[in-house]
Amino acid sequence: MNIAIFYGTETGNAEMLADDLSTALDEAHETSVSNLSDTAPDALRTADLNIILCSSYGDGDLPASAQPFADRLEAQSPDLGGVRFAIFGLGDREYHATFGSGSMKLADSLIRRGATLIGERVVHDAASGDLPEDMALPWAEDIIAASHHG
Amino acid sequence: MTGKVAIVGAGPSGCYTAQALLKAAPGLEVDVIDALPVPYGLVRYGVAADHQGTKAVSRQFDRIFTRMGGQFFGNLRIGADVSLTDLCGAYDAVVLAAGLSADRPLGLPGDDLPGIIGSARLTRALYEHPDAGPLPDLGAHPVIIGTGNVAIDILRLLVKTPEELAGSDLGPGPSDWLSRQRVERITIVGRSPATAARFDPAMIRELATLSRINASIQPPAQGGAGVEGLLATLAETTSGPLPVEFRFQTTPTAVRRGPGGLLLDVTTPNGAETLSASALLTAIGFASDQALTGEQVADCYHTGWFANGPTGALPRCREEAQALAARILRELAPDPRRPGRRLLQDVPGTVDFAHWQAIDAHEKAVAAPERCRRKLAQRADLLTLPTLQDV
Repeated sequence: MNIAIFYGTETGNAEMLADDLSTALDEAHETSVSNLSDTAPDALRTADLNIILCSSYGDGDLPASAQPFADRLEAQSPDLGGVRFAIFGLGDREYHATFGSGSMKLADSLIRRGATLIGERVVHDAASGDLPEDMALPWAEDIIAASHHG
Repeated sequence: MTGKVAIVGAGPSGCYTAQALLKAAPGLEVDVIDALPVPYGLVRYGVAADHQGTKAVSRQFDRIFTRMGGQFFGNLRIGADVSLTDLCGAYDAVVLAAGLSADRPLGLPGDDLPGIIGSARLTRALYEHPDAGPLPDLGAHPVIIGTGNVAIDILRLLVKTPEELAGSDLGPGPSDWLSRQRVERITIVGRSPATAARFDPAMIRELATLSRINASIQPPAQGGAGVEGLLATLAETTSGPLPVEFRFQTTPTAVRRGPGGLLLDVTTPNGAETLSASALLTAIGFASDQALTGEQVADCYHTGWFANGPTGALPRCREEAQALAARILRELAPDPRRPGRRLLQDVPGTVDFAHWQAIDAHEKAVAAPERCRRKLAQRADLLTLPTLQDV
């Protein structure tokens, strides 16, 4: 399967996770890794499945590298019908009022443009002590398996 | 691309620079040097003990040394063990990312009185920096000067119950110290109006979850969006046993000795006033410790707080480090005759990244059940490789 991995990050943790996920999936799939800041909404049309990794920042805002992508979604209002995406959030439950808000806002924005969310949006908690890749890899494999059958 | 780059300071700015350099040019020799025996600077010693999620960036930094070919030279102080001149002669580029480790003084009459404690000094002691002094007694009514995130970090630790510190890496000494304090109220003083406070909104929301806080705002905060609205909500929704008063538009003018502590003269929109303080904690920014001086400093690249002053957190460090790395790669003129790390290899007493990995594993293994880590606090202990027998 052709899988495009995108990340939205402030401190680089989502970028590292994107690299790890790409390495792990690379044997069985074609993968690419891109920063959302360099991504046009239409680029989501290319791959069979888009996997988006996105943190939150500030007061539950989108991270800096996802903001330009979200702005382009807003400005261009593209029809993303047929685009399939899964989204994984990176959050910190010390800030629980806004935990995982960044990935939620981005998912809502894509769904409003007609894109289809595959699987569930989950959010890793940086304060939990668990490693994000230990959560993201099984999550991604489940989604890939489900989308084969779908 | 080949070339040799030395980075002075293994804190977030230095590490982000090394990461960006090696990501773009894996063939570079990048050496990250720190005066301490352990890496990561303020990630270890400045990010609050109860903000472990923020410290997770250290996993990225680990990879500079475990996967990307960077080398760590710890316990090596540039300017003492090796001169900056020698360093500049040995490398194709030198980056100064040494941070700011001294406290900015208040700059007021009486700002050198005993009982005034800078946030750098306090947080070094709280977070068990090897050069820290003892933790001072704060008395019944400490006053915190400053309206940035460091002020909030200190406030939050003073307000939290022992249960609310679970999962942190606050050491046994600082935890005992906190439980011995008998703080009855806390005042936070800032010159700016509430609307201009530099508090991170998420950190104000976090304060609202603490069981002991009873916040109030002077002058009374208006509702609405932004920090002022969050502060108004904080004041409305908290009613714990520990009064915490935020005093905005309150400008300190002098510090004097008073009965049982200090007196802080301030001006407010309603005129002059004097606040009593059992201790005065200043969180108004940091300054250079002047350890890196001389004409060679100007020939080096600078980044992070060392370059720009004490503003900006991890995202800004990263952004600036990436821009700096791009600039270095444009300007680098490698000279194969330069010895690079051969200059450092024989300096006695330096420690490498494997040394840190052993300390890291040890500190995690000996952590108390309610803590994620127990730091080795003494420099001598940080220099002695812990063995499994010590666990």
